[in-house]
Amino acid sequence: MAEVAQNDGGEKKKGAQKKMTIRVDFTPMVDMNMLLITFFMLCTTMIKSQTLQIVLPSNEKVNKEQQNQAKESEAITLILDTEYNDNNKPKVDGETGKTIHNIYWYQGIADTTFTKPDFIQKEQFVGDARENGVKVQQGIRKILRKQNEAVMANYEEYKTKWKNREITKEQFDSLAKKNAADSTLSRPVVIIKPGPNTTYEGLINALDEMNINQISRYSIQLPTHTDTLLIQALEKKTGETIIRPTIRKSSNPS
Amino acid sequence: MGKAKIKKKSTFIDMTAMSDVTVLLLTFFMLTSTFLQKEPTIVYTPSSVSEEKVPVNNLVTILVSSADKSGKLEDPAAVEGKIFISFTGDVDSTFSSGTIRGLMLDKAVGIYNEQHKTAPIEMTAARRKAFMETNMIGAPFAALPALLDMSISERDKVQGDLTRADVGIPINGNKDKEGRLNDFQVWLKAIYLVSKDIHDQKADGLTADEAKALEDLYNAVTKDGRGIAIKADKDTPFTTVEMIFDNLQTMSLNKFSLMTALTSEEEVSSTAK
Repeated sequence: MAEVAQNDGGEKKKGAQKKMTIRVDFTPMVDMNMLLITFFMLCTTMIKSQTLQIVLPSNEKVNKEQQNQAKESEAITLILDTEYNDNNKPKVDGETGKTIHNIYWYQGIADTTFTKPDFIQKEQFVGDARENGVKVQQGIRKILRKQNEAVMANYEEYKTKWKNREITKEQFDSLAKKNAADSTLSRPVVIIKPGPNTTYEGLINALDEMNINQISRYSIQLPTHTDTLLIQALEKKTGETIIRPTIRKSSNPS
Repeated sequence: MGKAKIKKKSTFIDMTAMSDVTVLLLTFFMLTSTFLQKEPTIVYTPSSVSEEKVPVNNLVTILVSSADKSGKLEDPAAVEGKIFISFTGDVDSTFSSGTIRGLMLDKAVGIYNEQHKTAPIEMTAARRKAFMETNMIGAPFAALPALLDMSISERDKVQGDLTRADVGIPINGNKDKEGRLNDFQVWLKAIYLVSKDIHDQKADGLTADEAKALEDLYNAVTKDGRGIAIKADKDTPFTTVEMIFDNLQTMSLNKFSLMTALTSEEEVSSTAK
């Protein structure tokens, strides 16, 4: 390919001309290209980051009466916690290499008698498993999904329709949005309470579960004294140390 | 029987095809690439199932460093994320990143000096130029002039050292929009006012494209929350993130986005035991 055969065009001349072959050596060209490719590969971001939209309530003070009170039976409280190792670094699971986040959750209004067994329970963020080709929810997702059954049933129906190309992606998105906010269905209100040792990843995981389980009503709050007492009650029951000293001091006066 | 003749073979390998392939690859990388922006610290964002892409234009990124990557810090109180801020303008309009940064700086310094009449900071043309050329910066206002007087390599070195007290934008204190704002809130106010200013000037005979770019910027920052993104490390303590949320809420910027990496529903960052 890199040869150019010089021909005299078939015209015969007296002195038989030698056929000339011009070979161009492309090796340096390839070398240079490789260098350029390496440069571009190192300097680019191929994966673009994703974003998670979040809307927080305004900081202005609202009267107790003006607040929308959630029905007790619909409320689920998730207290988040991240485990730390001795070096003050988030503890990592040996097998998967992922940080260990724990969730302590309870349903309804806090049990202030602290006597009900199994009122508060421990869960973790676990991905879906596949059993005989069917998606199975595990961990906290299973619990949240069960609470949001009515919404999820419709959601799955829309999803199948979309997968079968009966509706477009846009139609699916708008249907799913409307469905998640449908006040005629029984929907839970989730209160996410990140504890003092929680990392940012724990919070994102919790927000992710809201998205996955189509929960439209959730809020982020700080744990209260009652929550601490509830966890202490759980500690007493299981013999596990859950409340550890806060390794990070917040300089926020609040 | 004569000996079997061994043909002399040339070892010359034809590199033309190879070169064709490499040029193709090169073209691909050149066309798809967006250059990495220099950031003072490496941040590993947590993963999420959200598929929404980060906007390319009109974005204010609030970078929160992880507690401590170097392992140098021993005082737990000091183990806190540092805040950096970066402004991205519109790629092909009059409001490029540089212009936006300049406007933001003018506004922010104006607000700061208004509130700190006894110790105002001075922004010379050279400092302003240095700010316009820097992608990401994180320093208290009081330390900003000194930082901008440094050479680029010196500045990078200072900004990269998270143990320094003059690195990171202070976010502590103040829960009141009207009181004396902390440095981070001054920036937020500047962001809001600049986008509003630009929006209000729209009538002054701009082209349709320019007007649209301005509208986008205004919407991104004030309405749909796409214009403000928090980029925090997965190990950043929630207390730091909560403080940022709180500051944003105080400044009535209730909608914003969190930067994440993509994952599937099967994988999440924790496992059952």
